Amino acid sequence: MRWGWAALLAAALLLVGGCLHSSEETSIPPLPAAGEGVDPGLGPEAQPLSSGPGYKGSPSWSPQGSRIAFTVDGYVVDRPVGTGDTRRWTTKDFVAEEAEWTSDGSLVIFGVASGPAPTHEVSRSVYRARSGEGSLGIKEVATDVLAMSPGPGGEGLIVALQTSAYQSELAMLRDSGAVDRIYTSTVGGRVTGLSLSPDGRRAVLAVRVPGARTSFELHVFGLRAGTHRTIARLGEGLEIFGAPQWTKKGICYVVGKEEAPGGGGTEPLYDLHSVTPDSGVPESTPGVGEDFVASSIRVSPDGGRLAVIGRLNPKAPINLYVLDLAAQDFEAVTTNENMEIKTGPDDLAWSPGGKSIAIVARGILSEEPHVRAAPKEALLEDFYNLYEVPVGGPEAGR
Amino acid sequence: MREAALWISGAAFAFLATAGAFLLLANLGTGPSERNLTPNPRPSESDPTLELTLNEDRLASLKALPGQELRVGVRNAGGEDISDIHLVLEVSSENTALSDARYYRKTIDELPARGFTTVPFYLDLSSPEITASGSPSALSPDPPRKIIEVRAMTPGGVSAIKTAIMPG
Repeated sequence: MRWGWAALLAAALLLVGGCLHSSEETSIPPLPAAGEGVDPGLGPEAQPLSSGPGYKGSPSWSPQGSRIAFTVDGYVVDRPVGTGDTRRWTTKDFVAEEAEWTSDGSLVIFGVASGPAPTHEVSRSVYRARSGEGSLGIKEVATDVLAMSPGPGGEGLIVALQTSAYQSELAMLRDSGAVDRIYTSTVGGRVTGLSLSPDGRRAVLAVRVPGARTSFELHVFGLRAGTHRTIARLGEGLEIFGAPQWTKKGICYVVGKEEAPGGGGTEPLYDLHSVTPDSGVPESTPGVGEDFVASSIRVSPDGGRLAVIGRLNPKAPINLYVLDLAAQDFEAVTTNENMEIKTGPDDLAWSPGGKSIAIVARGILSEEPHVRAAPKEALLEDFYNLYEVPVGGPEAGR
Repeated sequence: MREAALWISGAAFAFLATAGAFLLLANLGTGPSERNLTPNPRPSESDPTLELTLNEDRLASLKALPGQELRVGVRNAGGEDISDIHLVLEVSSENTALSDARYYRKTIDELPARGFTTVPFYLDLSSPEITASGSPSALSPDPPRKIIEVRAMTPGGVSAIKTAIMPG
C-alpha cells in the first residue's frame, strides 16, 4: 500500500511539473502597425496612424480616443489607433473637408456629396453617418453650412448657416441631426470659422464682412442669450485663417497678410494673434516669438495649451509646437527632417486626453521616380499620412 | 480488499504516469516553437530567394502614354530552380478615389538557381478622363502621381515586391 501512495504522489508531481511552463507569462507581441519603428522624419516619438497612398487630412479622434477618422481624397474613413482595418464611411465621390465625432459610433461630415470640390464661396452641407447603419449610409442634416463645431460637451453640433450672400445665422443641432435651436440674431457677414469657449457657453466666429477689400471681424456669440457682438476688426487685406480658438487665456487666431510689395514673392505670411473677449485689443500671442509664421492652430481639450503648426522664421522648417498659455512656454514637439507637414486649418487634432496630437505629413516630393521594396499600402513618407505625436504637459499625466 | 486497493492504485499510477509523460513531452515540444513565435512578417518583407529590379533611369524616361515598355528584372538568388513565377504589375493613381488601376500579368516558366531574366511589360500610362462630377483630386494641390507595383509569386509561396512612385 505504501508503494501505491508513493506512486500516486510521483504521478501527481509529474502532472504538476508538466503543467508548469517556464514561458507561460510570455505574451505574443501584436503585429506592428504600419511603419512602426520607422522614424518618419518627424522625430523618434512620432508614430504613423495610417499608410499608403491618398491625400489625407482633417484627423479627428473618437471621444474615447480609440479610433481616428480622417479624409482621404475626399472620402471619409476611420481606423483603430493601434492595429486594425480601415473603415470607409462615404462613397469615393464624396468631397468631405472635415469630419467630427459626435459619439463613438457617429460622425458629422462637412462637405458635398459628390465632386467637384467646391470653391471657398460655395456653402457646404453637413451629413450624419453612423457606424451601425450598414454600407455607407449617410444623411444630409443641414444645407447652406458655412462652418461647424462640435457642440458644448461634445454633444450635438453648432453650425453657421448662410442666409444670404453676406448674412449668416447659427443653429444648434442634436446628434440625430434634428434642429435644436435656430438663433434669430443674424450675423452681418459670412462666417468662415467658429469654435466654442472652454465652458461651452459662447462661440467665437471669424466673419468675412462685405467690402471692397478683404475684411474680417471676430464676433462672440452667447449661446444661451442668443446675442452676439463684435470684439475685433482686422485691417483691410488681413484675413483670419481657419477657426479662431478660444483658450483659457483668450481667443487665438491666425492672421494672414500679403507680403509687402517688392518683397519678391506672393506667399502670404501668417501671424498668431490673441485677443480677450473684453479688451478687444488684438496682440501678438505672447511666447511664440515675433518671427514665428503660424499656419494652423488647435486648442487642447482643457483650453490650457495651443497646438501650432508653423515655422520659427520664414526660412525654418515647419514643425509642430505646443504653447503652454499660462507659462508662455513654447516647445517644438517634432524635429522635422525633410518632411512636408500639412498646414490646412483642420490638419491637426488633439487626442481626447490631451496626450497626443495627430498631424498629416509626407516626405519632400521628388522629381525622380523612386523604388521601394514594399507594397504601396505599406508606404509612409511617400504619401500624406497621419502621425501621432505624443506631447507632455499638464494633461499628459491624466 | 488489499488486492483491490493494489489494482486501483496501480491503475491510477499507470494512468497518471502516462498523462504526466505526455504533458512533459508536450511541454518539451512546445518550448522552442513558442520562442520562435513571431508576428507575421510585415508586408514589406520579401522572400530573399526572389528579387525584383526596376530600372530607375528607365522609369524616369517613361511617358504618360500607352505602349510604354518597362522591363522588370527577376533574379533567383536561391540555390534551387524556381518554376511558375507569376508576375502581376499594377499601374494605379496616387488618388485613391479613382478606380483606374490597370493590371498586367506575365509568367516565367523556369528560373534556374542564381539565374536572372528580364520580363517586358507594355504599359498604358495615360491618365483616364475624369468627369466633372468625379474629380475630388481637386482637393490636392498636386497632380496625382502614378504608382507602379510589381509582385512576383510562385505556387510554392516564394514572393517579392517592388513599388515605384513616379513623379507627378
